[in-house]
Amino acid sequence: MKGYTSKGKWHVTISIALTICIYMILSWVVGDEIILPTVRSIIENIVDIGKGPSFLRILGSSLYRSLWGFTISFLLAIVLAIISGVYGPIYYLISPTIKFLNSVPIIAIILLALIWLNSEMVPMFVGFVMVFPILFETVLKSIVNIDSNLMEMARVYKVKNFYIIKDIYMPSIYMGLMNILPSSIGLNLKMVISGEVLSQPKYAIGSNLQLQKMYLNTSGVFAWIVIILILGKVLEYLMRGLMRWIKLEK
Amino acid sequence: MDKIREINKSFGKLDVLVNVSIDFPHGKTTCILGPSGCGKTTLLNIISGLWAEDSGNIYGFQGDIAYVFQEDRLIPWKNIEDNLRFVLRGKINKMEMDNIIDKYLKLVSLEEYKRYYPSQLSGGMRQRINILRAFIYPSNLIIMDEPFKSLDINTKQVLIDFCKFLREIYEKTCIIVTHDIDEAILLGHRIVILTDKPTTVKKIIEIEEQDNWIRLRTEIEREFTA
Repeated sequence: MKGYTSKGKWHVTISIALTICIYMILSWVVGDEIILPTVRSIIENIVDIGKGPSFLRILGSSLYRSLWGFTISFLLAIVLAIISGVYGPIYYLISPTIKFLNSVPIIAIILLALIWLNSEMVPMFVGFVMVFPILFETVLKSIVNIDSNLMEMARVYKVKNFYIIKDIYMPSIYMGLMNILPSSIGLNLKMVISGEVLSQPKYAIGSNLQLQKMYLNTSGVFAWIVIILILGKVLEYLMRGLMRWIKLEK
Repeated sequence: MDKIREINKSFGKLDVLVNVSIDFPHGKTTCILGPSGCGKTTLLNIISGLWAEDSGNIYGFQGDIAYVFQEDRLIPWKNIEDNLRFVLRGKINKMEMDNIIDKYLKLVSLEEYKRYYPSQLSGGMRQRINILRAFIYPSNLIIMDEPFKSLDINTKQVLIDFCKFLREIYEKTCIIVTHDIDEAILLGHRIVILTDKPTTVKKIIEIEEQDNWIRLRTEIEREFTA
């Protein structure tokens, strides 16, 4: 398994290097900075953006929106899914909203959010709309799929509800969320940035992306994309670390 | 003595239990022997309070009841020690709980497995933990629902001996449901033979230590298959 994983890491490194090489060749062939800027100009833009006086504030603001939105989605998903899993009628009450959020195009909801909310709230709302149904359904599925034999055993042995929640419900939810949380936090960041592009808060990665696009500075757009990719990966990595830590603590 | 009198239970138009009356002497093992699907588990669920009877009376059965299921029903993400802890929490204090778990795991030579997870143990070992869990649970009554059903003959014998060993230490009232005559003779002080559906009590046999095993088996087999 260890050998397989390290082999996988090599494959990823090689494929990233190959993609960059192909991109370099393509940008050299096209020869137009507006359509496909060179890697060199992208790197220069990343350095410029990094040196900018508001860079950390921009990064911090987007991260703040993303993490707050994600925390709200996460907590609400857990609470509502547990209530829905235990009391069927609550599920039927929430279910139409979840189905609505899943089937309506996200851009339509963003447009509504732009009408209803201020520019700071729109990105968080967009992230919530995208991530909440995924987390809710994952948690609900984990609860519904809890082995009924284990529940019967706990009931026969008159185990207190606190221990049933702590020792059966929570680990089942944890196992359900373990695979989905790192990718969800990355998805949430992407959606928050999409919301920022449209709502244009003062300090935001999305607003800066839009600014670079307005000036037709394609290498600037690519530079922000690279920054977003790195930020997304760091968040995913930290989330995986957090999940591992919780598992060890248990 | 715990007892049930004139218990009736039906599901829709299907009569499952009809006027079932059985005594369960304290500290003794009563084996309920009946053909598959005759309603033995229904009877156990009524005794343990999981289901309500349609009519009849239940006397005794005070306090908590321990249950040995057909499947081990161990929590997969908890090790053996924590699985035992799970049913004891809130009923006895932590120090007593640690002592009981250590003492009895040692007594049944399973102490080296206390940090093992269920998936790391064989089916027979898991069933031993299932049985041990029921015996260390603070209750006077243990109900066992075909606890050796899906085990091979060698493992079954080991577990029957294991059960007898624990019974000698604890002196608890046991109710064992089975359709295996040998299991019933090996474990029971009394054997209650049930008919097929609609289920009634066909015969109750008291087993004495000096009983001739072959004669006893022949008698039960005759009643059971008649």
